[in-house]
Amino acid sequence: MTVYELHQLTKIYDERTVLDIPDLKIKENRIYSLLGPNGTGKTTLLNILGFLEPPSGGKITYRSKPVRFVESELQALRRDVILVDQFPILFTATVWKNLEFGLKVRKISKGKRTRMIQEALDLVGMRDFALAQAHKLSGGETQRVALARALALSPRVFLCDEPTSSVDVENQAIILNILKRINQTKRMTIVFTTHDRTQARTISDQTLVLDRGRLLEAGYDNIFSAVPDLNSLGETKCVIHPNISLLMDSHKIKPAKDRFRILIDPKQIHPLRKAGKEFPVNVLQGIVRQVVDENSKIRVVVDSGVRLILLMTEKTYRHSQIFVGDSITYYIPPQAIQAID
Amino acid sequence: MSIASTLIAGIVGVPAGFMIAFESFPGKRIVITVLNTLLALPTVVIGLFVYTFISRRGIFGPFDLLYTQKAIIIGQVILIIPVVTVFTITAINRIDERYRKTAMTLGANRIQTAWVIFREARFGIIAAIIASFGRVISEVGISMMLGGNIKGFTRTMTTAMALEYDKGAFILSIALGIVLLGISFGMNMLFHFFQGRSRA
Repeated sequence: MTVYELHQLTKIYDERTVLDIPDLKIKENRIYSLLGPNGTGKTTLLNILGFLEPPSGGKITYRSKPVRFVESELQALRRDVILVDQFPILFTATVWKNLEFGLKVRKISKGKRTRMIQEALDLVGMRDFALAQAHKLSGGETQRVALARALALSPRVFLCDEPTSSVDVENQAIILNILKRINQTKRMTIVFTTHDRTQARTISDQTLVLDRGRLLEAGYDNIFSAVPDLNSLGETKCVIHPNISLLMDSHKIKPAKDRFRILIDPKQIHPLRKAGKEFPVNVLQGIVRQVVDENSKIRVVVDSGVRLILLMTEKTYRHSQIFVGDSITYYIPPQAIQAID
Repeated sequence: MSIASTLIAGIVGVPAGFMIAFESFPGKRIVITVLNTLLALPTVVIGLFVYTFISRRGIFGPFDLLYTQKAIIIGQVILIIPVVTVFTITAINRIDERYRKTAMTLGANRIQTAWVIFREARFGIIAAIIASFGRVISEVGISMMLGGNIKGFTRTMTTAMALEYDKGAFILSIALGIVLLGISFGMNMLFHFFQGRSRA
């Protein structure tokens, strides 16, 4: 079942469009990671999904019902969806009282409350801290208590804004494990934002990439600043490095600008056995710097003067026999290159 | 009298300050500016203002309020309502916006969210009330003009000091001043304690 359907969604602050999503569907019981640089609209999108902020335009449906951003209707929806902030706030009270808050507003009986709080604290490994003053906890402990406070309420959708950004490596692993476990055991839909591409790919079922408020289909691995190639004769070419001029698909280029950014889809880049006449353009050479297995996809980092990412299936990778330190030749089809602004 | 006027001002000023800080409405900035201006209102001006209403020829003349404790309380309440209100607004505004967001995402309704903010600002609000009490016990203009400094009835420590000074009894006047200063110091200690808690 689809939990959210966003259609022509926009958010405008002071005449600046910070979010512009033509279509997005978020399905039940899945983990979504939301990647993108700072200030790209990730938190704004989470606030809208958490019914804490209205969009400026467009439609949202939640579990097949259109959402009206009217206070009287939003409270019921907010009891289904919980957002945990990047720097979560714990109320000035004990950990126990913090967890009790959401249960009390839902008028859950005391006996049931006690059981639910204990379960949630066990889940995040914070049972010993139940009576501790919340404002005296460390960053990692605060994050875990904030997760427990949300999980105690068993929301249908769990939104997390950079849950691992303000904690140490040990706590990062604990938090990611908690997210995975609750998705599997409680069948919760999870949407979390992160800057870490590896983290995003390893624990999520789908990665959404936001760039300047827009969703990018091809991720944001290969975004380059480019200028038009003035030496190209009648062809649409761009320069991303003094030695690299790439032919673009004329359908994917926007009105001419002095400087623009291009996105190269890492899945469409093909490694070649050797440079041949079959691909007269967009053939580059580089040294393999890194090979990473990411959720059944192989990510190859190639240094060609610029750092380019190739994303392959395991089968293609095995067939290509690429190893770290190898010098490889690869082809970038013009249709894999898209001007994004 | 000081306790009574502080209580009344607290009952009026704290909810007023909370509403002004919590709600958005047209003219909010003007209201806050007016309240800030009223902080500097001289006690003599309030004394004169209330006098015109409660003197024999005033609108409330028939109630015989002039030179009574009630008259002093009315004047003192007018003096410190802006203090309580402005300090409450400041205490609420200092609360991180994320408290409101957190309460809302945890399913709280508007009143429950307001209660969360109020609880978080409680030390700041207590400090506002203590500051008001400090203002009230040290004022002399209102007590003198509206109370009349009647022995055993409307005489306060500050009006007694003024009288003893006029009589030339400097030592008694200074002794009273030291007692008043002690109370004021105690109040300030309490004020700083609660301000400190609100920042913690």
